[in-house]
Amino acid sequence: MGLASASTACEGMQLCIFDLRRGQNEGQELDKILFFFPADLPFSTQLSVIGLSEGLITFTRIFSPEAACEVIEAERHSHVFYEAETDIWMVMVVEKSKESEAIWRIDALRKVLKEVHSLFRMFYGSIRAMLEKDPSGGLSRSHLYPFIMDYLSALQKRSPLDNCCWDLLVGKKLWLPSFRDCLKECGTVQMLTVGREAAIEVQSLVRVLESCAGNTPCHSMILFHDLLVSTTLSPDDTINLFTYAVRRLTPNALSSGVSSWSYLRRGSTSSHFVSGFTLAQSGSVSEQIYHSSDTSPSGDNGNHVTRPLQHGKWSKGKDGFLVTDTWGVDVGGMVCTTPTIWLQQTEEAMYLCPYQYKNLTLILLIPVSSILNREEGVSLVKRQVIENASLKILKVEEKLSKGWGGENAYHVSGYRYLLIDGDRNISRASPPGKVTTLAKESLLALNNLREEVDLEKSRLKYDNTGGEKDLEVCIRAKNNAWAIARLNRGKELYMVLEKASETLLYASDAFEKFSNRYCNGAFTLD
Amino acid sequence: MSTSSLSTSSDDELNSNRNPNPNTKPIDDELSLASITLTESNGNGSVNVNDQNACGQVEVDVEGPSSPTSSGYAGERGSSSEGTSNSRIDDDDEIREVINDDGFVDGVRDARAAPWMPGKRHVDEDDASISWRKRKKHFFILSHSGKPIYSRYGDEHKLAGFSATLQAIISFVENGGDRVKLVRAGNHQVVFLVKGPIYLVCISCTEEPYESLRGQLELLYGQMILILTKSVNRCFEKNPKFDMTPLLGGTDVVFSSLVHSFNWNPATFLHAYTCLPLAYATRQAAGAVLQDVADSGVLFALLMCKYKVVSLVGAQKASLHPDDMLLLSNFVMSSESFRTSESFSPICLPRYNPMAFLYAYVHYFDVDTYLMLLTTSSDAFYHLKDCRIRVETVLLKSNVLSEVQRSMLEGGMRVEDLPVDPLPRSYMSHRLSQHRLLTDSPERFRESTVGIGGPAGLWHFIYRSIYLDQYVSSEFSSPISSHQQQKRLYRAYQKLYSSMHDKGIGPHKTQFRRDENYALLCWVTQDFELYATFDPLADKALAIKICNRVCQWVKDVENEIFLQGASPFSW
Repeated sequence: MGLASASTACEGMQLCIFDLRRGQNEGQELDKILFFFPADLPFSTQLSVIGLSEGLITFTRIFSPEAACEVIEAERHSHVFYEAETDIWMVMVVEKSKESEAIWRIDALRKVLKEVHSLFRMFYGSIRAMLEKDPSGGLSRSHLYPFIMDYLSALQKRSPLDNCCWDLLVGKKLWLPSFRDCLKECGTVQMLTVGREAAIEVQSLVRVLESCAGNTPCHSMILFHDLLVSTTLSPDDTINLFTYAVRRLTPNALSSGVSSWSYLRRGSTSSHFVSGFTLAQSGSVSEQIYHSSDTSPSGDNGNHVTRPLQHGKWSKGKDGFLVTDTWGVDVGGMVCTTPTIWLQQTEEAMYLCPYQYKNLTLILLIPVSSILNREEGVSLVKRQVIENASLKILKVEEKLSKGWGGENAYHVSGYRYLLIDGDRNISRASPPGKVTTLAKESLLALNNLREEVDLEKSRLKYDNTGGEKDLEVCIRAKNNAWAIARLNRGKELYMVLEKASETLLYASDAFEKFSNRYCNGAFTLD
Repeated sequence: MSTSSLSTSSDDELNSNRNPNPNTKPIDDELSLASITLTESNGNGSVNVNDQNACGQVEVDVEGPSSPTSSGYAGERGSSSEGTSNSRIDDDDEIREVINDDGFVDGVRDARAAPWMPGKRHVDEDDASISWRKRKKHFFILSHSGKPIYSRYGDEHKLAGFSATLQAIISFVENGGDRVKLVRAGNHQVVFLVKGPIYLVCISCTEEPYESLRGQLELLYGQMILILTKSVNRCFEKNPKFDMTPLLGGTDVVFSSLVHSFNWNPATFLHAYTCLPLAYATRQAAGAVLQDVADSGVLFALLMCKYKVVSLVGAQKASLHPDDMLLLSNFVMSSESFRTSESFSPICLPRYNPMAFLYAYVHYFDVDTYLMLLTTSSDAFYHLKDCRIRVETVLLKSNVLSEVQRSMLEGGMRVEDLPVDPLPRSYMSHRLSQHRLLTDSPERFRESTVGIGGPAGLWHFIYRSIYLDQYVSSEFSSPISSHQQQKRLYRAYQKLYSSMHDKGIGPHKTQFRRDENYALLCWVTQDFELYATFDPLADKALAIKICNRVCQWVKDVENEIFLQGASPFSW
C-alpha cells in the first residue's frame, strides 16, 4: 500500500452510494455507506462527503420538495447527485483543474451514475431488494464493490509507461466524459440504418430466433458492429443490454485487449483524465473491508459474487455462442453457467445467450422460469438456434455487410453533429475520429451551450407545463466557429460548424440543409 | 435656529471610534456607524438633522464649525410592516403558484398601474411558513458566525436557525478546503458569495443564470458597503459574534429597492449606466456647470433624473464605476428622507474605495431630478450647498430642468420610430429624433405610448456602448407591455448576456436564440453590444437587417442619448 497513493487518492474522483434510511442513530453513520471509492479514504473523510450530501439533500427539500439536490458546484470540485432508488443516492465528486482539461457537463456525469446503476440492476436487481434480503448491507456491499470497481477500471486508461514496469506507481488514469465528448450522448442507442430488403430479412430472423424456445416468449437483440439492428425489448432494457453488449460482447469489445467504454474508444487521447490513484492499490484495502463485513453468505451465489463487467471474460465458443465463466462453472466442471439478467420493466429473470457470426451479434433472452432443467434446457434452445437460424444469420450478415459504410458511415462532410431522438433514446453522431479535428474552443462552446440546453430541459421537466421545449440557439464563438443547438418535438440536434462563413444566415442555411437531408426535415422551421 | 438629532448606536464600541471633530479628515479606516444625515428644510434656512428612528434627540448647533454630526441612518424601518398583507402589488415575489405567464396577476394588466411598494414585506413569515418557502427569490446576508443580517422575507431574528444552517453549509465546504458557489435542486438554485466575514446567499427559482444571481449578490454586498464601508470587517475581527443588524437599521428599504431593480433595471447585469435623452446642447449646458463645480473641490458631480444620468463630471483622474452609480442612485432614491430636504450623508463607493467614506450632498430639484455632489471632506456641507445654488441657477436659466421634465414625459427611443427607408437613413432618423426630442408636442407623447412594435417584428432593443460604459434601452412596445412580460424579457436578456459572456471562452461574437417567447439577437463587437428582441416568428434575414439599422440609428442620435466626452469615467 503506497502511502503516496493513499494521500492523493482523494484528489481525483470520489464516488459513493449511501442509503438515507440507514445509520440514523449516532455512532452508526457508517452503516449508511454502501459503496465508497476510493475505499482506502479514512472513514471520517467518507462520512464527511456523505454528511454534506445528506445535509444538502435535506436543505434543498425545504424549497424544492419535488427535486432535491442535483449538483453542488464549489470552486475546486463538482458534486453530482443521482437518486438511483428512493433514498438511495449516488454522489460523484470530481475535481476541477485549470491546467488539465477538467471541464465537464454535469448531465453527462450524472448519466455515468445512471448507467452504473442501471447495469447493476440489470444483473442483480435493485439495491433496495438486496438490502431487504440482507438488512446488514453485506450483500449489497459485496456486490456493489466489485461491480463498480470493474466499471471504473474500464474507465481507466493505461499510460504508455505502464508497459514498462511502472505498474506500482501512480500511472493509471481515470477517464470521464469531458467537454471533448460533447458530441456524444451516454444512455442512448446507436442504430444501423438498413435498407428495406435487409429490414425484412432481419425481421424474419428475429421471428425464427424467438421461436427457438418453442412457445416460451423470448426477447432478442441484434447488433451489427456496435450498432443496433433490431430489438424486441422495452426501451430501458434495450439501452442497458445495448450498453453492455457494446462494451463486452461485440467483436470490437472481444478483440480489444483492454475493454473500454464506447465514448472513450476513439479520440480518447485527448479526453480528460483524473489522475492520482491506482485502482489495484485502493482495491486491496477495500476488498478486505467489504469482504470481512459480508457476514451473510446466504445470497444467490453464496460467497461467489459474479463480476459481469470484468474484462476479457467473454469468448466465442465453437458453436458460435459466446461463453463466460463469470457466472461460475457447472459442477461437472466443463459447462459454464449461463448468465442471467433482470428485465427492468417486467422484473423477469432471463438467460442471456449471445451468438456471434462475423460482425453480427445476436442476443437471445430466454425467461428463466420457462426452462426447467437449467443448462440442459438452455443448450437445447441454443441447438435450435443453430439448426433453424444459421442460414438466415448468414444471409443477414451478408446483406448488412454489403450496405455497411465503414466506421465513417455517418460522417457528413463539413459537419460535426449529434442527433438525439429523446423519445426513442436513439442518438447518431459524427464519428469520434472526425470530432477530434475540432478546435478546443469550438468544443468548449458547444459543451457550454449543451449545459444551457440541459438546464432549459430540466426546467421544463419541473414546470409541469407538459409542453416540449422548442428552442433554437446559434452561437458564433470567439474563434468564429458556430455552435448550434436545436430542440424540436423531443428531438435534439447539436452541431459545430468551423468552416462556415461569417454570417448567421449561412450557418442557418447549412443547418437547414442538414436537417432536410438527414433528419427528414425534423428541425426545419415550418 | 437649528435642531439636529443624533441617533445613538446600540454598539458603544463602534461609537467610540467616531471622530468627534468633523473638521478632520474623513474617516478612512474607522467604521462609521451609519450615515450622517443632515437635512435642510427648504426655504427657511434652518438645518434639521433628521432621523425618524432617533433614539434620543440631541440638540446640536450646526452654525458653528462643528456642523454635521453623525446620526442613525434616516431610512425608516417603519415602512416594513406596511403592505404585508397586500400581495396584489407584489411584482416579483409571488408565491410560485400565483404566477400567471400572461402577466395578468389578479387582473392587473399593467403593473405600472400598481406601483411597487418599498420596504420589507411578509415580516410575519419564517422558514417554517409554507408561503415563505415558496417565495421565488430569497436574499440573505449573514455573518460568518451565522448571525442573520438581512433577509428579503421574514424577520431576521426568527430566521436565526435557518441562517445558522446556511453558515454550516458554507463552513463545512470551507473546512474541506473548498468554497461552495452553487447548489442546484430542481428549478431552485442556491447561490453563495463569501466576502470575508460576510456571507451572502440567494435562493431562487426564477430561471436567472448563476452568473446573474451571483452578480446580484455582489451588488447587494456593494450596497451594504456603500452604507457601512468595508471597515465593518474589523468589528468581526474583534468579535466574531458581532451583531451587525443595528448598523443597518432602517435600510431594508434600500435593499428591497435594489432587489426590485434586479427585475427591471438592465444596469444591474450590463454594468453600464443610461442617460436621459436630451439635446446635445442641453446636456452640454448641464455638464459645463457641473464641471465648474467639480473644479472647486468636488470629487464627483452627478445630475440625475430617477436612475438616468443627465450629466456627470468628476475631478481629474477620478472615475466612477457604473455599479457605484447604480448603488448610489438606489440609495438616494429609495430613502424618503433625501426627497424632503437637502441632505449631507456619508456614503462609500465600493468600486472607488471600499474602505473610505465619501460625503454626498443630495438635493432634489423636482420630484425626479436630483443633484449629488460627492466630496472627501466631511465639513463641506456649506460649500456644496453654495455649489448647488450655483448649479440650480444655471439649470433654471438654461431651461435644462424643463427639458429634463419633457424628456421624462416623452421617453426614449421607440422601436416604432426606427427609420425604415434605408437610403436617407441617417438624415431621416436624425430628423425624427430631433422632432421627438425637441418639439413640444403632448399629442406625440400620447400616441407613442401605444407602440405596436417596430418593423420586421422588432419588439425591443438594448445597445451598450463599451467605450462609454453606457447603454440605451428602447421603450417597451405593446407586445411586452405588462410588467410580467417586461420582467420575462429582462430575464431572457440576462440569460443571453451570461451566455455571451461565458467566462471560460467568451465573449462570443453573435448569438441568435429563438424560443416560444422571442427571437433574440445579440451582437458583440469591440465597440458595442446589441441585444434585440423580435417576434418569435420573425424572419431571420430581416431581423439581421433591422439590427444593422438599429445600430445605425443609435449612431445617428448618439449625441442625444449618450453622455459624450465623459472619458475619465470609463475605467
